[in-house]
Parts: sequence; C-alpha cells; structure tokens
Amino acid sequence: MRIMKNKFSLVLLLTLATTLLSCSKDDPVPELDQEVITDVTLTFTEVDDNGNSLGGSLEYVASAAEGIELGGNLEIDVINGLESGKRYLLEVSAYNGIAEEDITAEIEEEADEHQFYFLGSAFMGNTSFMEYNYNDEDENGQPIGLKGFVTVDESLTSNNGQIRLVLRHALDKSFEGAENPHWEDFVQAGGESDLDITFEVTF
Amino acid sequence: MMGKFRLQSFLFLFLVLSAAVKAQEKCSFDVNGKVMDQESNEPIEGAYIWIKEIEKGAVTNQNGNFNINNVCEGHYTLTIESLGYTSSSSPLNIHQNVNITLRLESKEYLIDGVEIVGHKDAVNTLNNISNVGKELLEENRGKNLGETLKHLPGVSSYTTGANIAKPVIHGMHSNRIMILNNEVRQEGQQWGGEHAPEIDPFMAEDISVVKGAETVRFGPEAMGGVILVTPPKLPVSPETKGSINLVGGSNGRNGAAAFSLEGGTKKLQGLGYRIQASSRIGGNIKSPGYYQNNTGMRELNFSAALGYNTKKLGMELFYSRFNTEIGILSDAHTGNSSDLNELIENGRPFSNPDFSYDIENPRQEVSHQLLKAKGHYHLNNDGVINVKYAFQQNNRQEFDKRRGNLNDHAALDLELFTNTLDLAYEHPNKKKWNGSIGLNLLQQANNNIPGTGVTPLIPNYDLLNIGLYAIENYIDGPFELEGGARFDYRYVDAARFNKDGELDERDFAFQNFTAFLGAAYSFNEFWMFSSNLGSAWRPPNINEQFSQGLHHGAAAVEIGNPDFVSEQALKWVNTLNYNRDRLRAELTGYYHKINNYIYLNPTGEQYVSLRGTFNIYEYLQTDASFWGLDLSTNYRIIPSLGWYIKGSMIRAKNLIDGTYLPFIPADRVDTGLIYENVKIGKITLSNLSVFKQQREPDFDLAPAPSGYNLWDISMSRTLFSHNKSVMKGSLSVNNIFNTEYKNYMNRFRYFTHEMGRNIYLLLKYEF
Repeated sequence: MRIMKNKFSLVLLLTLATTLLSCSKDDPVPELDQEVITDVTLTFTEVDDNGNSLGGSLEYVASAAEGIELGGNLEIDVINGLESGKRYLLEVSAYNGIAEEDITAEIEEEADEHQFYFLGSAFMGNTSFMEYNYNDEDENGQPIGLKGFVTVDESLTSNNGQIRLVLRHALDKSFEGAENPHWEDFVQAGGESDLDITFEVTF
Repeated sequence: MMGKFRLQSFLFLFLVLSAAVKAQEKCSFDVNGKVMDQESNEPIEGAYIWIKEIEKGAVTNQNGNFNINNVCEGHYTLTIESLGYTSSSSPLNIHQNVNITLRLESKEYLIDGVEIVGHKDAVNTLNNISNVGKELLEENRGKNLGETLKHLPGVSSYTTGANIAKPVIHGMHSNRIMILNNEVRQEGQQWGGEHAPEIDPFMAEDISVVKGAETVRFGPEAMGGVILVTPPKLPVSPETKGSINLVGGSNGRNGAAAFSLEGGTKKLQGLGYRIQASSRIGGNIKSPGYYQNNTGMRELNFSAALGYNTKKLGMELFYSRFNTEIGILSDAHTGNSSDLNELIENGRPFSNPDFSYDIENPRQEVSHQLLKAKGHYHLNNDGVINVKYAFQQNNRQEFDKRRGNLNDHAALDLELFTNTLDLAYEHPNKKKWNGSIGLNLLQQANNNIPGTGVTPLIPNYDLLNIGLYAIENYIDGPFELEGGARFDYRYVDAARFNKDGELDERDFAFQNFTAFLGAAYSFNEFWMFSSNLGSAWRPPNINEQFSQGLHHGAAAVEIGNPDFVSEQALKWVNTLNYNRDRLRAELTGYYHKINNYIYLNPTGEQYVSLRGTFNIYEYLQTDASFWGLDLSTNYRIIPSLGWYIKGSMIRAKNLIDGTYLPFIPADRVDTGLIYENVKIGKITLSNLSVFKQQREPDFDLAPAPSGYNLWDISMSRTLFSHNKSVMKGSLSVNNIFNTEYKNYMNRFRYFTHEMGRNIYLLLKYEF
C-alpha cells in the first residue's frame, strides 16, 4: 500500500513538472499579408474591329499601399483618356505590393474560380455609354474578364459615369446569368468579392 | 350550603380550565431543522426524523428542511436516519421553539475489512442553481452543450448557425459567464462569438447552472453565472460497469456514438478508473425550404480518469481531449457590405445545395486538451485541504476560402496554454458554521502560429491572475447565511507587430476586490426564500482592447481600445420556492448593474477599400442594467401525468444612451405534458413559444424576426433489463410541423432560418 502511494505521488509530481514547462508567449512574427491586392491596373489599348492594336495604351491604377489595413490611403485614377466611337482592348492586372505577389498570375492559375464583372453607370442604366465583352476563357470555356473589349458609343448620353469593377472568387460560373459581364445580381452565384472598385470616367 | 358548593365547583372548573389552557401553551412548540451531509454540507432529502417519546416525526424536503409542530415542553431523544448515512441520536430539550442543524456522516463501506468512503465535493451556494439532471441529460445525448442547456429557465443560447452554440445565462455569455469543466475553468478563446465551448456533454453525469455572481468562489468573469459540467464520481469498488450510447438524427443525417467503462481492482481497495470516448458526425443541416451549404461537423473526444480514495485521502488524475471540425455556412462569409446587404435583403442564402457530409472552407478546426490532478485530505482536526492543478492546451484554426494553396493554410491559428493551481482549506465544521479560505493561480500564454499570411487578429500575450478568497457559512435550522470576499490581481503582457511593421508591446495590471452576501430562509416545509447579492468584475478581453481591422467573413471592421478599464458589476438574485404535494414552483427575480460595460457599437461609418466597403464598429464602454424573471412550475395532475410551465424574460439597457442592448433573448414560455407509465414508458409533448424581440437596439442589420412556436414530442422507455444490464431507447421529433422560423439570438439570422424537423433516435445500453 505504502509503495503504491509513493509511486502514485511520483507519477503526479512528474506530470506536474512536465506540464509546467514551456508556457510563456513567443515573440510575435510579422506576417506578410498574402492574397491582399494593393494595386489594380486597367490598361486600355485602342483596337480595330478585328482586334488589332491601333496605337498606345492608357493605364489607370487604383492602389492602396497598405492593403486593407485601417488608416491606409486609397487612390483611384480618373479614366479621362477614352474617346467616343472607339473600341478598346481592356486588360486587368492585379498585384500585391506587401508580399510582392503577381495576383494576375494567381487568378489565371485558378481561372475557373474567378470572374470579373463590369458594372456602374458607364455600362448600365439610362446614361450608359459603354459596353463590355469578355475575350478570355478558363478551362471550362467560361469567361474570366482579365481580357475583354470595351466599345464606347458614338453619341454619348453623358460626359461622365462610373465603372464599377468587381472580382468574384469561388462563384458558381454556371449560375443562370453569370456569363453576362453586366450582371448586377452576381451575389446570387455565391463566392466573395475580392475587388469592388469604382472608377470615375470622364470625357 | 348551596352557595359553598357552587363556589367550590366554580373554583374547580376554573382550575381545570386554567390547567387545560396552560397545558395548551406548553404543547405548542415547533421544532424546525435542517439535515446535511457532514462532509459536503449538501442538504439531505428524505431523511427520517423521529421523536421517540411522543412518536412524532417528519421527513426532510429537497432543501433538507423539516418541521415538527405542537410539541410539549420536555426532554426528548431525536433520532435521524437516512439511507447511506450512519443514524444519529441527539438529546432535544424543548422549552421554546427550537431551530436545529444536524449533520449526518456517510456510511462506510466495508470490503474485506478495509473501510472505503467515497469523498464528496459539491458547490454550495445560496445563488439559484438549476440542474439539468440525469434524465434530461440522457434525453439530450448527441447535442452540444448550448443545445443541452437551453431547456433551463433563464438559460438560452447565442448561436452562429446550426453547429455553434454558446450558453447564455440571464442575457450574458462568452467572457461574462464561466464554464467549469470537471471543476477546471474552461480556457479557450471564449471571447469570440463564433467560438463554441470545447466541451463534450457525453462525459457529464450532470450539468448545473448557477445563475448569480460567483466571482468570489471562482474568479473574475463569473459575472452572470457559472456552468458546472460534472462527470460521474469515480468508482471505489472493483465492479466493472459501462455504457454504450448510439444516437441518430434525421436532420443533417447526423450520428453519435459514445461508450464508457469504469471499474476498480480487487488488489487495491479504493482505486477506481474510467475511460470514455465519443464521436459525432453530421452533414448539411436542412431548414424547411433549403439545405444550408457546408454545415457539416465532426467531433472525436476521449477522456480517462484514475482515482484513489481512502478514509482520509481522495486523489484523482484526469485527462480529456476534445477535437472538432465545423463547417461554416458558405453563404455567410461575405466579401463586403454590399454583398452582405444583398444577402440580407434576400433573407435566405442564394445557394440551393444538395445534402452532403463534405466540409470545405470556410471551416473551423479546434482541439482542446485538459490534464487535471487533484487531492483532497482530511486533517486530524477535521479540517480539509484541497489541492487542484490543471493544464489546458487549446488550438484553434479558422480557414477561409483562399486563393491557390493558401486555401489549406489557416487564416487564424491560435495556441493557448493555461496552467491553474487551486489551493483551499476548509476549517473544521462547527455545529452551525463551515467555511474555507483559498488561493487560485492562473497562468496563461497565447500565441499566433506564424505562417498564416494574415495579420493576426489578437496579439501574443502572457497572463497571470492571483486570487485570494474566504467564504463563511452559518446554518441555524431553517435559516442560512453566507458571505465571502476575494481579492484578485491580474497582469497581462501583450505584443504584436502593428500595421507599420513596428513591434508594439503593452502591459496591463488590474486589481479588484469582490464580495457577496447570501441568505436563505425556510418558512415552513413548503416555502423557502433565498437571496444573494454579489459583486463581480471582468477585465477587458484581448479582442476588445486590440481589434484593429477587418473581421474576416463578417464584412465588418472592428476597432478596439487598449485603455478600457475593468467592468464592475453587482448582481442581486432572489428565489422563492414552493413545494407541496402536487405542485412545485420556483420564481427567480434578479437585477444586474454593470458599470464600464463593454460592447460593440456600429458607428454608421463605412471603410472603403479595394475590396469594397465595410461597416465600421467600435468597442465602447457604458453603464448597463439587466433585470429579469424566471419561472418554473411543475404540477402533478394525476400520479402518472405531470404538467410543467417554464418562462423567462429579460430587460437589458444601455443606461448612458438609453437604448436597448443587442442580442438579448426575447421573452419565452416552454410548456409540456409528461405521461409516465410502467408499461408504456414516458411520453412528453411540449411547446416552446418565443416572442418577437420588441426591445431592439437603435442599429441592427435587419429588424428582429417574428416570434415563433415549436412543438416537440418524445417517447422513452426501458426496452429490456436483465440482472444489472439495462437497454433504454427514446424516439423524439423536434419541430414536428417543420416550422420555418428565425431565431433572434442567431448571428446568422439575417440570411438563414433555423433547423426544420428533426427525428431523433437514441439507444442506451448500461451494463
């Protein structure tokens, strides 16, 4: 009995000793925010009806150097170089300045899970003056939106408008209406918005 | 001659009459008493009290109280007998009304000439305690802790979808209540609204809820109440026993299985062990109109205990492990506030998935380990020393839908280590007094595991809490008084990298003094009243101090304040009990005032980023008041048919703004009929009516949903029994009419409904 009691208390003591070790906080390690998009660039290149380039490119950037941290500066360029009656190739690129990642490449790798939508008063409603058509596809033949054509009307109903660029991630591309770049109800197809930026357009 | 005779007879009559009157005065004394367990100070129900000389007696009620009335003046012998206890006799001298307090000693087992005594530990408090009870616990096997407790009046549930439920006591949850898992305070990131307690109800024999401030006994944060999850006592005899539970539910096509085995060894008397394991699995939950996408869950738990008991010493070693994986409704993780608004306008998810057991991101993976060592020693002077050490490790990972191979990396990866040491000394029981002094030590370290690729939500920190307390209890027959005081010191040292890439270190020290006073009085064998006034405090949570950005998946930006001071509260709980023949009733009324109450306030502003806009919330401090009533009644219509009604209401206000606080449970009434028959078993038909929450805060993402009405029916019976083995079964239907409803206390109520009909089968085999 006595020996058993001693053995038992020994086990107890050992357990106590081992678990009291090691428990204090570690030094924190800075995390480079990945997947955050800090820069989005819209590149407009004038093209003819066959899609051949006619001239130089216009670049407009939306950037937030601190990603989604509070207190950061959000800067969005005004799109002021487009002309009526012209057709442009619109290329979208995304970059993460914090972890120095090419997000465009990541989107292309997971093309079946990403799709851009082009909304806002420039494309939709009574005062719209532009139209967008997709010109790329993922492995399932469904559009992505990294490349597409923008056609500006001959006669403008208004001198300014807005382009709302939305990037949806993990959506159901087969959902009814999802193949329309001007689809307002994109939330219905599920997923999350990784980008939701409104650019001002003026002439 | 005639006159003398008349005078004599008159005098005689007068003498006889006066003698009779005097005799009446001398025989109108009352004996009021209370019978308790000598060691645990718990009241003993059903003890027989007998005054031999006059052949008068009584039986103690559930509070241990008894009355014997109309006793004549004199000297008597009082005997007290109760099953499991050594009978005792004591002299009783009656010259006036008498209050007595009696203590009985547990009977000693004699096995092979060695005395074995089971040691009892109990929480004795004059605060209102409600027990789930063995029967109700068995009927709810396979459900999580929050779901199991919501049947108690004054207790409800704060949920995040169908799989995450946090218990709410009198409108308070998370860090304002404490959960004791096998006497150890559960430490596991409980500040989070979507962080469910990592507790397996399968390992419990009983779960009690204390609905009052218990900071003096248990430490800071036991402000609204305490939940005690108690496993069965370890066996002291070598007989091997066990049980197997199998549960199946139609909604979510979920199943659960659990087994337990306990016994001892003939070689060493007083040694006992138990091993226990349980597992749950479920798929997508179904609301009446649709399946909820990605709402499956998995759970695997295990516990082992070893105990050794002699007359003077009780020791126990306990280990448990809790592991769960929970799918979060995929539609709930919205990108930004415009997404959220569209979803809220729709009122339900856009998706229409099929049933599936698959769990994808967003999901949570949590594991919790507990190691406990405890000793309990009776000194020669009859005092008792209690030593309890516990170690807990909590790992919490939260996964979001992410791009590329980041999808397999947790976006939140926290590891929490906690060591607790509790020392207590109970001084020897005097006839009417018992009490204890104690020391609680808590040491904790929280770490963010690097490599998430996401700025951590909360910093790494070290925490140390030292508490010193004293409690004293006085019992004089039907009257009981209790008081206590405690001093706490808490030190927190937090460190993290801020958004500028600089190391930010801050430390905090908090000190607090708390006290309580409670009293209980049994008017007679039917009525009892108890009241408890207690102060409590809660230091600000790490997330209330340090939140600084996007709360992923909630489309919200939350801003904390490191300069918050502690919350200071005072809770006054009163309970009136009536127990007689066929009717049992309990009414509780309480008032709770909290100064420096911390809450999340919608600022109405929005934060614009490349990802869209987000609503900005900030943590603020205000003064708050809560008051409410709980009612529980049971009426036995005929011996086999009982009727119960339970109801509760809470009113909670932000006193400085004059507005109502958010997520406070609405008024509710739960009523049912229970029919019990030896041949058929037990049939219960019940209805839960929850009213619309009319007291809404000024700002909410959507108005409160309408009230609702749910019907449940269940039948349970013993299927067969043979020697010592018993097989019981029960079949229940929850939400019989597949009612579609939204619950105000569900954080996902803006865009999802509650579970529809669930048919539930339970089989239990005990051997």
